[in-house]
Amino acid sequence: MTATKDALLPAGTTPPASARVGPAKRRWSAERITPYVLLLPAVAAVLVLLGWPTVQMLGISVRQLDLRELVTGKTVWVGLKNYTDVLTDPEFWTVAVRTVGFTALLVAATLLVALLIAVLMRHLNPVLRICVQVSLVLAWAVPVIATTTVFQWIFDQQYGILNKTLDRLGFHSFIGYSWFSTGTSTLVVIGLLVLWQAVPFVAFTLYAGLIGVPREQYEAAGIDGAGPWQTFRAVSWPAIRPILTMVTFLSVLWDFNMFGQVWAIRQGGPDGASTTLAILQYLKGIAGSHFGSAAAIATIMLVLLLAVTARYVQLLVRTKDGEIT
Amino acid sequence: MKRWLKLAAGAAAITLATAGCAGSGGGDDASGSGGGQGSTLTVWLMTGSAPDSLTTALDKEFEAAHPGVKVDFQIQQWNGIQQKLTTALASDTPPDVIEVGNTQTPAFASQGVLADLSGDVQSLNGAQWLAGLKASGEYEGKTYGVPFYAASREVVYRKDMFEQAGITKPPASNQEWLDAIAKLKAKFGSDPEFQPLYLPGQNWYALLSFIWDNGGDIAKAEGPNFKSTLDSAGAKAGLDFYKQLVAASGTTAPKDNDEANPQQAGIYGGGKVAMFVGTPSELPTAAETDPGITAKTGAFPIPSRTAGKSAPVFLGGSNLVVPVNSKNTDLAKDYLKLLTSAKYMTQLAAAGAVPGTSTDVSALSKDPLGAVMAQTSKNGRAVPASPKWGEVESGQNPLKDMLTAYLTGKKNLDQATADANTALDKIIGG
Repeated sequence: MTATKDALLPAGTTPPASARVGPAKRRWSAERITPYVLLLPAVAAVLVLLGWPTVQMLGISVRQLDLRELVTGKTVWVGLKNYTDVLTDPEFWTVAVRTVGFTALLVAATLLVALLIAVLMRHLNPVLRICVQVSLVLAWAVPVIATTTVFQWIFDQQYGILNKTLDRLGFHSFIGYSWFSTGTSTLVVIGLLVLWQAVPFVAFTLYAGLIGVPREQYEAAGIDGAGPWQTFRAVSWPAIRPILTMVTFLSVLWDFNMFGQVWAIRQGGPDGASTTLAILQYLKGIAGSHFGSAAAIATIMLVLLLAVTARYVQLLVRTKDGEIT
Repeated sequence: MKRWLKLAAGAAAITLATAGCAGSGGGDDASGSGGGQGSTLTVWLMTGSAPDSLTTALDKEFEAAHPGVKVDFQIQQWNGIQQKLTTALASDTPPDVIEVGNTQTPAFASQGVLADLSGDVQSLNGAQWLAGLKASGEYEGKTYGVPFYAASREVVYRKDMFEQAGITKPPASNQEWLDAIAKLKAKFGSDPEFQPLYLPGQNWYALLSFIWDNGGDIAKAEGPNFKSTLDSAGAKAGLDFYKQLVAASGTTAPKDNDEANPQQAGIYGGGKVAMFVGTPSELPTAAETDPGITAKTGAFPIPSRTAGKSAPVFLGGSNLVVPVNSKNTDLAKDYLKLLTSAKYMTQLAAAGAVPGTSTDVSALSKDPLGAVMAQTSKNGRAVPASPKWGEVESGQNPLKDMLTAYLTGKKNLDQATADANTALDKIIGG
């Protein structure tokens, strides 16, 4: 049986090949062109909205573009000066390492918490699940800066509810404790804030992957005597792995480039100890209207991101039909 | 081929996020377009600068004197103004008259984006310009900014609390100030929430007064460049006095934030604070919490280490400028002429500001808090007129970091001042 099937397979692939050999004149028939015509608007939009800004960014990064040049419209080429200035600054390397480390920890924490919530949602009864889902949506729906303000008040030194609560619980050393006195502690608060906002999306996405698994598979696993952990590994994990890869990639992009929360909390302070690359770009470039330097840092960030996410791009290239495992 | 397409798609996806960061600086080409028919004069003033009654009357008078011209008057917010101004100045049809903070003016002047007003100084009441602001509007011998108004810090205090603590007259020296704090503490100290002086760790305007009073300065000019002098003996003495005040008062204000976070006047309004260092314009915020507090409030100049004198104060304020791209330069100058006239300057003074182009401060002196400001603003000083000073304030201010590091004990006096000196030099030096 199987032998016959195998023997038949090559024959099955032949017809399309022979079709290609066929009439070369029909190459530009409407049928062939249609897919490309349909693709055209999307490609044009990508080129205009993404390609052009990128080209602009690269162009600006090798120019001196201060307020004067911006107003007079003069073009001053400075070659790689913006890049060498940035790369020879020891502060840049401190900040780059900090940003990569912070992003890695943040993404790992986001995925872990979101995965736990997603699995939890699968096991909750409908009423409780809806409660959890509504809470997640609410946390997600609040504007970034509004949440940031709330967090600032929670962690406020004098009037914050956290210090008051800790004091009530008996930890009296937290009266007037400053959560923003060191870079690490400030980054932890920022991390919690980002986690709060990032988890809902990731949790919902993973949950969507989990409910896509047919119930019979779980039942089968149950009949075979698999425990919860084995069920997760054997049934749930394969189903959500592609999704997990995708949300990891997205989270890396978001967390690496995050600006608003870090800036709003302490402007990258104290003493520059919570400055990330996005903040550095703002300080070096935008705050002093040196758009050339800003573009150079943005380009370096792009290269760094490409390096960090190279694995994902590799997977994307290797797999067929965008199916990532 | 297919591989490349996918690779490009992957790369494009990453660009999505980063391109957004740089794209904002992209609008560089000054494409010629219409507009500016000379019939509309666009004026940008900052929020809270001038009372509505003043601007309404001013615009009406201007429109009456210039038939066919309409004034498009817009109020701007301080938050994010630097970016907004950058975009506006770079555009082909910028506003015609703009109010710019005095510490931001040199940055714009040095970039050649402001119209040269040197020839109009006399017609704009130049003889009476406020000295502290005048310097900030000048760059390389030319005048780009017209003083608009200024304000300075003073010590705002609770008269009733001083009386109860047996303090008969406002402190007139650093020592008397510390004594008053001790007396207030002795009287009200049993209340754990009471603070004789509310002083957050990053009120760098107050620090400037102490540094100047001790003979120090932030930076000194070396030709066209600046060299920061935060490691000088005077600067160290000023920083040390700041710490003495914080220690004496036992203020629970955050050491890692400034007077606006949280709003110090709001805390003062809570009734558990006897003094704070601020401007008269902050009092209404306190009155929102406790309307009765205005009557109980007085003010005295920031004391000096020399008895009987008062410390120099930082003169914060605004200049009026005309963008170089403005299509209505002559109309803009006419508008400035009207705004800088005695009539409107008096209204400005009555509203509680030190007028920029008039030496007549009688309207301001009617208010007890304003009177102190009118007196101390004569001894007002400005931050270094460096084109890069704007970056100090819009970025990470080394003065604030220095204060926090020293007050929290993370760095000693020498370390804190040396680090801040290096950080400041990195921005404004060379």
